[in-house]
Amino acid sequence: MRRTRPVVVGGISLAVAAIIFIVPFFFIFLQAVKSRSEASRLNFDLPKEWLLWDNFLAVVEARNYQLLLAYFNSTLITVFSVTILVVLSAMVGYVMQRRRSRWNGVAQVAVLIGLMMPPAVVPTIGLLQSIGLFKTMTGMVLIQVAYNLSFSTLLYRSFIGTIPRDLDGAALIDGAKPWQIFFRVVMPLLKPVTVTNIVVQSIAIFNDFTNPLYYLPGKENVTVQLTLYNFQSMYTSQYNLLFMNILLVTIPPLIVFIFFNRQIVAGMTAGGVKG
Amino acid sequence: MVEAQRPKRKSPYPLWFFLPAAIIYGVLFLVPTATSFWYSLTRWDLMTAEYIGLENFRQFFSEPFLVQGLINTLIYAVMTSGLKTIFGLLLAVLLTSNLIARGFLRTVVFFPVLVSTIGIGITFTVMMHPTRGIINVALEAIGIDGPGWLTDPALALFSVALVDLWKGVGLATLIFIAGLAAISPDYYEASRIDGATRMQQFRRITLPLVWPATVTVITLSLIGGLRSFDLIWAMTKGGPGFSSDVVASVIYKQYQAGFYGLSTAGNVILFGLIAVIMVPLTVMFNRREVEQ
Amino acid sequence: MSGVELKDIRKSFGALEIIKGIDLDIKPGEFVVFVGPSGCGKSTLLRMIAGLEDVTSGLLTIGGKDVTYAEPSQRGIAMVFQSYALYPHMTVAENIGFGLSLAGRPKAEIAAKVREAAASLQLTHLLDRKPKALSGGQRQRVAIGRAIVRNPQVFLFDEPLSNLDASLRAQMRLEITDLHKRLGATMIYVTHDQVEAMTMADKIVVLNGGRIEQVGSPMDLYNKPATPFVAGFIGSPKMNIYSGAAAEGLGCKTYGIRPEDLTLSSESGRWSGKIRHVERLGADALVYFRVEGFGDMVARTIGSAAFQPGETVWATPQAGAEHRFDTPNPVAA
Repeated sequence: MRRTRPVVVGGISLAVAAIIFIVPFFFIFLQAVKSRSEASRLNFDLPKEWLLWDNFLAVVEARNYQLLLAYFNSTLITVFSVTILVVLSAMVGYVMQRRRSRWNGVAQVAVLIGLMMPPAVVPTIGLLQSIGLFKTMTGMVLIQVAYNLSFSTLLYRSFIGTIPRDLDGAALIDGAKPWQIFFRVVMPLLKPVTVTNIVVQSIAIFNDFTNPLYYLPGKENVTVQLTLYNFQSMYTSQYNLLFMNILLVTIPPLIVFIFFNRQIVAGMTAGGVKG
Repeated sequence: MVEAQRPKRKSPYPLWFFLPAAIIYGVLFLVPTATSFWYSLTRWDLMTAEYIGLENFRQFFSEPFLVQGLINTLIYAVMTSGLKTIFGLLLAVLLTSNLIARGFLRTVVFFPVLVSTIGIGITFTVMMHPTRGIINVALEAIGIDGPGWLTDPALALFSVALVDLWKGVGLATLIFIAGLAAISPDYYEASRIDGATRMQQFRRITLPLVWPATVTVITLSLIGGLRSFDLIWAMTKGGPGFSSDVVASVIYKQYQAGFYGLSTAGNVILFGLIAVIMVPLTVMFNRREVEQ
Repeated sequence: MSGVELKDIRKSFGALEIIKGIDLDIKPGEFVVFVGPSGCGKSTLLRMIAGLEDVTSGLLTIGGKDVTYAEPSQRGIAMVFQSYALYPHMTVAENIGFGLSLAGRPKAEIAAKVREAAASLQLTHLLDRKPKALSGGQRQRVAIGRAIVRNPQVFLFDEPLSNLDASLRAQMRLEITDLHKRLGATMIYVTHDQVEAMTMADKIVVLNGGRIEQVGSPMDLYNKPATPFVAGFIGSPKMNIYSGAAAEGLGCKTYGIRPEDLTLSSESGRWSGKIRHVERLGADALVYFRVEGFGDMVARTIGSAAFQPGETVWATPQAGAEHRFDTPNPVAA
């Protein structure tokens, strides 16, 4: 008796947890393959006709292929900002971890502020306007770099602590210049945390809604999340297309998650542990 | 023997490695943050800023709907943080015990963390529809008259907070799982020999030893809750009325309305709010850690 | 081949001085071992010679050239680290050739030099492996190979054998000694293991608390330790050392006698005591006993000696083997 009860309780709570976390995704998928009239009922009935492909085409073609443009823009922003992020934050984390200087305290406070404080949006818009980067992809990329530097630096710094300093010494004796020590000896050894950084930050930046909303308004600059937000008001009567759009937005992180599960988990928990 | 001069050898860790990051971060994050204190004291149209003293702040604290936003922010942050901590720990304990399909369940619980907040927001808005939403339809089937989750002003903020819990609890769970994994099984075996029950083990061993993870979860989710914007914006836009407005959505609304000075004052208030809550909390948590 | 000269070398971190003025002359081709307890500053001193730690004051010359503030790569040294510090992402060949490739040497030259170094260390068949796939001894040899290929004037070794098991350590000791004979280069070797120091060194430098206690050949240090510290550090089992009233009775501040310099008898001798314990090592036996009013004493005798715990034993120092110091014993103090 005493052995079966925990099993039953555990089983039930598991089933409940599974349902709670799976049902919404099932719901998304179901509406996305229905016809317009069926989807408007918003229930769990299976569709009479599976319109996966038709709905997909309809969403892609909507507003003159706006979704394709959005994917292109979001991808561009993500790739560029993550590339810059990785290089710059690795450099900062490296020197912060390796060298004692009075700038370390400054850098540490800056990282902490960056992790905690929200950006001052309107002054940032003012500043971007004055340097001609408002509503530009370049501006957006640099903003993403600025806002996500702290987290990436934190990840790198703690990982660099595990790289033996003797390697730096050996490279120094071998005649390596400081930048050669970093790029030829240390950086290749950071691969695991670099992968983590790339994956976690890509998802964060790809999913970012707030910053493009403020800094990248305008039709020609739409991002995936903004498109989805705009479709919400446009498709109040076409739930099938709205949910097809949600489905499409959900797929990239799903794919990344399938391939990089381990690195994501490592990054999320490492970032959580205070540096 | 005295050397005339001691040439300083160059460090192999050059400080200019800080420079590119410092420029981007300084110009695009620190400078606006610093200038926001000035702009919050002005009437501002991005071109000219007219100094008006504390007028923006006076307005902020005298308009009931703006004050409401401040209170809502606190409620939302405390509620989401508390719920994520409790449910995160429970799920973590469940998912570290000996279960079938444990790995699958971890995946399922964690995945929403990675999904677009806007997508989640829209999906739950539809599911929470007062008459056609599947939540109320399901409740009706078992004889309960479901509430207007997002249409009832008394309920809207809590409904959004629940969705936030659904989306964010996976991260808390993950951090707790890492914390639990760091506890040596020896303690449990030793306490079993000492005659501790499962409940006693949880209270006397698990809870104190998982404390660092708890601090992390509370800290992260509080900061996230205080800054929260996109989920609320996707689900209610602060409505009905101003019942689910938070400081971040007020900032956006005032920006849209062209009240840049007022919007920036909201930003400064948010800085203050986060500092007032997080700094003492961090100090307290650190002290407790030192004592241990 | 060139010598190394240290003149009043000091290092401090803030107010804390950890190297307190070292004067040392290392001759070309000499094998010098820095030995001392952990924290004595021996590794720091080696890293200062390598240029990995800044010199606070003093003068350091290698081959007659002032290199006190020179870059590590400009000093004509090579170093073998305790952790080996092999680049994990490079193959053995790339590890050995990394310095040459940084210097921009032509590929063919690098390959030839790497092959030559590898051949001399029996590493040829391992050139394409990564360090992870090597045994401890092989990693050690790659680290040495990386040093050889630089063709340095001075080799620096920082406790290179401490990560190896006992039998491999004995073998590598021989290999490094062979290497020294073959290359004839100056070598400076840091260890805390006095057996390594005794077996390998031309000259031992005993360091303690950031200062040199004594410099000399292994047998000099064994036969004529200058201080009680050196007396206690060199030799195994440790010398019996007495201070206070016991030493004053013998006319000195500190008195020492090595276990192997005591003659035991079951009938008569200078000191007597009850045997507490006998350790039989095979060829030798160590007899532990307590001399009332004097202290604990260990004597080394032949393995077949019949002494048993509980018996009374008499011990007499051999003529000329006693050590008397005018300084107090630092350990007892």
